[in-house]
Amino acid sequence: MADNEHGHPNGAKKGLLWSLYQLISNNFIFQSVFRTGYPDTMLKRMAVMRSSFMMHILPTKVGIHGLKLYYTWCMGGITFFLFLALTLTGVILMFYYVPEEHRAYQDMKDLYFMVPYGRILRNMHRWAAHGMVFTVIVHMIRVFYTGSYKAPRQLNWVVGVLLLKITLLLSFTGYLLPWDQLGFWAVTVGTNMASATPLIGYEGPFSDLLGIQVNNDIRFALLGGTRVGANALIRAYVWHCVALPLLASGMMIFHFWRIRKDGFSGPL
Amino acid sequence: MADKELNTAKSGYMLMNKPDYPRTPSWPYFIWIVFLTMLFMTIVLWCIAYLGDAPLEEEAAWAKTPNPAKAPWYFIGLQELLVYFDPWIAGVLLPGQIVVGLALIPYVDISPTAQGRYGWTDRKFAVTIFSFGIFLWFFLIIIGQWFRGPSWEFYWPIIDYDIGGATWTREGIPLKASEATLANVPNWIGWPALIGFFGFGMIAPLVFAKVAGASKLGKAAAEYIGKLGPIRYVLVQIHVVLMASVVAKMLLRLGLGYKYVVTTPWFNV
Repeated sequence: MADNEHGHPNGAKKGLLWSLYQLISNNFIFQSVFRTGYPDTMLKRMAVMRSSFMMHILPTKVGIHGLKLYYTWCMGGITFFLFLALTLTGVILMFYYVPEEHRAYQDMKDLYFMVPYGRILRNMHRWAAHGMVFTVIVHMIRVFYTGSYKAPRQLNWVVGVLLLKITLLLSFTGYLLPWDQLGFWAVTVGTNMASATPLIGYEGPFSDLLGIQVNNDIRFALLGGTRVGANALIRAYVWHCVALPLLASGMMIFHFWRIRKDGFSGPL
Repeated sequence: MADKELNTAKSGYMLMNKPDYPRTPSWPYFIWIVFLTMLFMTIVLWCIAYLGDAPLEEEAAWAKTPNPAKAPWYFIGLQELLVYFDPWIAGVLLPGQIVVGLALIPYVDISPTAQGRYGWTDRKFAVTIFSFGIFLWFFLIIIGQWFRGPSWEFYWPIIDYDIGGATWTREGIPLKASEATLANVPNWIGWPALIGFFGFGMIAPLVFAKVAGASKLGKAAAEYIGKLGPIRYVLVQIHVVLMASVVAKMLLRLGLGYKYVVTTPWFNV
């Protein structure tokens, strides 16, 4: 079989694998998906990155110093990976979970005892969530210590700070969904703090100037009631599964696009 | 030059796309790192999920208040701050200050040196302040997570207290034992102390640079303040003083047994 224009790496010896690759790649269908050919030249290597949808969020070229493990610790990448893992496991969990006061906890038990792989599914989602909070913090610390927030990356640092905040909120809204004592009281404690907001929380300083009471303050808006109940559950659910992931995705698109444009932070 | 014309400084990268360090195509080395990291993390996640069950307690019950009711670990630092500050400071003002302070970092630190590498010598002040903030944050998390028990009193992590709900008491010990012994600083001392703390905190580096101007550290401080300029100086110093105030309030309560520095009918500090 003649080699196609996909070429051959460095004219190396043509073995069995190479024949197999030829067999798979030498047709219109393969080439309609992988359009650049075997990436054995500088040009093709860059073309691979530019023409592939999956690869195009990464820069076509990277600084060699940025490839070292102790430079990035892969923390940003791992955070994104965990976000993807959370999206995948989260969508599957949505098939089995109903955010209703009397059903939510029973659905948790069903995940444990009835749903095939339900237990490991929920475990993965939970641990990945804690992991993502941790890695996003370590990522921020690393970016600070390498001075990577400096010009021209100031705005991307600010977006990163907002992404950190969204990550915390994502994790916090998810905390309530199992509807167990742990989440219920953690969210009660957390939202009680909101009621202490000056002016717009009913227990906060100067709230009486605006006529703020327990049933029209910021906490009431978060919970949809004066205590954590059915309304709070559905609100946490919608924030957790729809609003915050959309917000996070949008900001991540910007975050990654900016990295691609600016490259890895370089020595000066 | 494009960057001069558009006044984009280093963001001219976007237009010129020619950074001044050696680069290599992302394929194959970078892609391999990404791929192996994903593979590694998949395995790690699987193993953790297989070995450890996610916590699930009893069904939520409004009538059964656990004592203590703890926030998730990443918010437990804020909950720990509730010991030292009223909720509007611990839960609203200080978290807001942390977010604003973090977002301000690239705008107050305009020195272009030590970028793209781990650097200490060129940015001692920035690294010290940031590291202290991170340390304080995790210190509070560790205290709250492992050293607080019923009624948010100090406990050793291995003590097996029962989470008995609202009925939790131990004979002869009131529910808020440490709270009962606290006193407030009288307002006639508190107000001058508070204003003095923040007032002096804002000018302390300037005073230091003047007084110790001859010493090496004093010269460095004066030079740093000069580079910052008045606006950035104020922004930085507000956050430094606020962070110091957290430590000061902790010492005041734990060391001297004072709850509030200033008490008013509307708010307490």
